[in-house]
Amino acid sequence: MIGYILRRLAQLIPVLFLASIAIWGMIYAVPGGPIGMMVGENATPEQVAAVRAQLGLDRPIYVQYLDWLLRALQGDFGQSIHSRRPVMELIAQRLPASFQLAAAATVVSLAVGVPVAILSAMYPNSWIDRSLSAWNALALGVPTFWLGILLILLFAVHLRWLPSASAHIPFWDNPVGALRNLALPAVTLGVYVSGIFARFLRASLVSELRSDYVRTARAKGLPERQILTVHVLRNALLPFITIVGLSLTNFIGGAVVTEAVFTYPGIARLLINAISQRDYPLIQGCIVVILVLYVLVNLVVDVLYAYADPRIEYN
Amino acid sequence: MSRKAPRRSLLALRALLRDRGALVSLGFLSILVAMAAGAGLLPIEPMRQNILHALEAPSASNWFGTDELGRDILARVIYGARTSLQTAGGAVAIAACIGIPMGLIAGYYGGWRDAVLMRMVDVLLALPGILFAMAIIAVLGRSQMAALVAVGITGIPNFARITRAQVLSLRSRDFVTAVEAFGASSQYAMFRTVLPNAWSPILVQAIVLASLAILLEAALAFLGIGVPPPTPSWGEMLRTGKNYLHEAPHYAILPGVALTLTILAFDTLGRALARVLEDRHDSGAGLAAAKEEGGR
Repeated sequence: MIGYILRRLAQLIPVLFLASIAIWGMIYAVPGGPIGMMVGENATPEQVAAVRAQLGLDRPIYVQYLDWLLRALQGDFGQSIHSRRPVMELIAQRLPASFQLAAAATVVSLAVGVPVAILSAMYPNSWIDRSLSAWNALALGVPTFWLGILLILLFAVHLRWLPSASAHIPFWDNPVGALRNLALPAVTLGVYVSGIFARFLRASLVSELRSDYVRTARAKGLPERQILTVHVLRNALLPFITIVGLSLTNFIGGAVVTEAVFTYPGIARLLINAISQRDYPLIQGCIVVILVLYVLVNLVVDVLYAYADPRIEYN
Repeated sequence: MSRKAPRRSLLALRALLRDRGALVSLGFLSILVAMAAGAGLLPIEPMRQNILHALEAPSASNWFGTDELGRDILARVIYGARTSLQTAGGAVAIAACIGIPMGLIAGYYGGWRDAVLMRMVDVLLALPGILFAMAIIAVLGRSQMAALVAVGITGIPNFARITRAQVLSLRSRDFVTAVEAFGASSQYAMFRTVLPNAWSPILVQAIVLASLAILLEAALAFLGIGVPPPTPSWGEMLRTGKNYLHEAPHYAILPGVALTLTILAFDTLGRALARVLEDRHDSGAGLAAAKEEGGR
């Protein structure tokens, strides 16, 4: 098992290496280059030379990259141009909010997606199945940011039950306040992801329901509900673990716009603001952190899958 | 072959039109494209401001109401369709022009070319599409061209992987071997023999990708880093409309309806086309993969 994890980690190295070059090289591709963005258009040649020396831009290009990489590996992405504070500190402040939103949205997506999939698979091609698949198409087709706006209109503007802008309140400090603030963004993001979950879990369940062991269980006279919950669901959840991993990209994409809709103080909004302010060290830091989280979760999903399914060989 | 091809596509089109969802989607998209293309001929002015009539509800003179500067929202939705379709079309073209040759070369030659090209695709896939697009806009600055390029680059892996999968399944077929045995160059075998037989999942991919491109373009505009104002864009309208939810809820609702219907129409059309072509060709595996890729 450890060997498998190490091999998976080793496979990540070339991808992360190329991605790190791309992220580092980003500021060199900006019109005006890294100096232009630091000193502005009206800088004197002396100022330019001073910044050049200060940033170490007079060194060979590979030394500059290795220096950046070594510091990045230690979590040092330099200072934000805009706020003059260490990039990692700004990111660390936002991460708990993003994790809390991700956890809440996952709960919503499973709470909606799994029952929808089970009901659809239990009554294939019935009106229940058709209406639930229409619901799924809608969950996937309606843009996350528009759904968020509609929810704000209903629950914040008309009914006045929930706030239209969500603050980050740690769940353990004030569960009610946290849930009030999390409800709309978590439903917005969760409904979208539930559409993906339900679509794949239904397919997985339907194919499992055709297996021989299900026929045996039926022949034994087991009630349909028991067959589904005890036998089929367990097997169908295996490929589902992979889907959870694959839908991470959608999850992150959805989280970026969801944070923007609800002005939620997560890492995605930090990144959007950094892009608007052309704060490149902060942009690089945010992208690296999100990329590393994404890759790590993917790895955990792979390992979980290998662990959960004894048929998968580690070699 | 050349005489048979149009008949086959005609049959596919006929089967497609028998699908109710595809028919409705095709009808909607045709009207949308016609309005976007002929927007200049319509008696509408998306840029004319009239502050005295700002944020008015839908009425006989302004069917979709007016925005915060008193501009006609319907006119801006129609011109917004133009922005959306142009960006999506350009993005799909960029993705196809780079992704298809990448997949062809990787699948046809295999070996180190395959390894290098597919690692590049892995890097593109390593970052969620929207983040990649945001990084590209961070470098290029905010413009319609930057949005188009950013959305296009995120679509490259889809085309590269679908084409590669198709080429791998066609590579060892007798008709390809025969063409090679006659002494055809690899370019000829790739572009004239393999590619024409691999088009159906690629076409499905293009349509599914168009819906993703429209969504991504709108998301970037909504985040305030897409097509810059005053160019009308659905995402930008939703972004501004969100600030006037109390005064003018229609402002944030109607452009969203147009956006959602367009995305659903492209998606429905892509899926229906995949079903039709699956019935007609033996390339079901490639089409299934195309749909999976589309769901990315």
